[in-house]
Amino acid sequence: MKPGEEDLVYLYCVTEKAPELKWVEELVNRLHFVYHRDLYAVVSIASYDEFSEENLKRNLSDMGWIKIKVDIHERIIERIMEGACVVPFKFATLFNSEDSLKMNLEEHAEEFKENLRRLGDKEEWGVKVYCDTGRLRNSIVREDGEIFKIDREIDSTSSQGKAFFLKKKKEELMNMVVNKKLNEYGQDIFNRLREEGIEVRINKLLPKEVTERKDEMILNSAFLVGKGRVIAFISIVDILKAQYNTLGLFLDCTGPWPPYNFCQMKPANGGAH
Amino acid sequence: MDKIKTLKDRDIYLDLQRERKVTLLEVLDRVLDKGVVVSGDIVISVADVDLIYLGLKVLVSSVETMEHLRGVPIQGPMQEPT
Repeated sequence: MKPGEEDLVYLYCVTEKAPELKWVEELVNRLHFVYHRDLYAVVSIASYDEFSEENLKRNLSDMGWIKIKVDIHERIIERIMEGACVVPFKFATLFNSEDSLKMNLEEHAEEFKENLRRLGDKEEWGVKVYCDTGRLRNSIVREDGEIFKIDREIDSTSSQGKAFFLKKKKEELMNMVVNKKLNEYGQDIFNRLREEGIEVRINKLLPKEVTERKDEMILNSAFLVGKGRVIAFISIVDILKAQYNTLGLFLDCTGPWPPYNFCQMKPANGGAH
Repeated sequence: MDKIKTLKDRDIYLDLQRERKVTLLEVLDRVLDKGVVVSGDIVISVADVDLIYLGLKVLVSSVETMEHLRGVPIQGPMQEPT
């Protein structure tokens, strides 16, 4: 084998219990665990052709490749999560050798253990809220007295000029009310969900090109929920779904996820916090 | 999970989950953007993730515009900018 063509060690997650790899071991090359400092690091052997720094950069421009590989990453971690609490790593965390990985485990062992203790009996759930602004506008026309009044004036006037100005006035007012309502609703939804969240995060909003939806994302949030409170959390989601449906808001709740949003690493190490 | 006896059952189960979860959206939002970062020998940088967004012809500014449109940000703990 020529130098530089050696394989890489791909790290998925770290646990404190011997991980069950059945069902997912066929997805990648040599899925196994490396045991060090009472921690199990779940790894596979990744090919240099795909994951060397240079090749990875090239592959990251291929959305088809990303989707397949990220799906495998997620499936493996979810499988381990069925039997143990996990610290999930970011996609494509790679080491040149198992020794190099062990050095890293050595350095971060206490942080990983602290995270595993903290996350032990909890689950990550995600709630994204979308708004169909057309429907929201319709509900505003029905409910907002001032806009309703302008609407009637537009209908009754025979002057085109007056109608034009009234429409402009209505549009300005409408935009203001829409923004006000979106803030109010988003804040209300978040406040009610956080009652069941031990920890919460608000993440950046993603545009339609990424969401592949027709409506706009207005809230992107993650909640760390106690395992015993998941049912309560989901019933709040259901209540909010029903309450906000007529106003054009849609809540998309997913989980349980590996705690991607809630692992805390020291900032000095370039951690997630 | 009790009904899963064979690899095929398992695949059907996972496919259902995948349908629900691993959309392009969740891929970008979690697996690429979040997750623990340690100084591995090769790690995807924030710049790499931004490049993926750009690859999607998504202008990051459109996200900012939306946040601006929505007005005052929702009060709560925010992730550090990524």
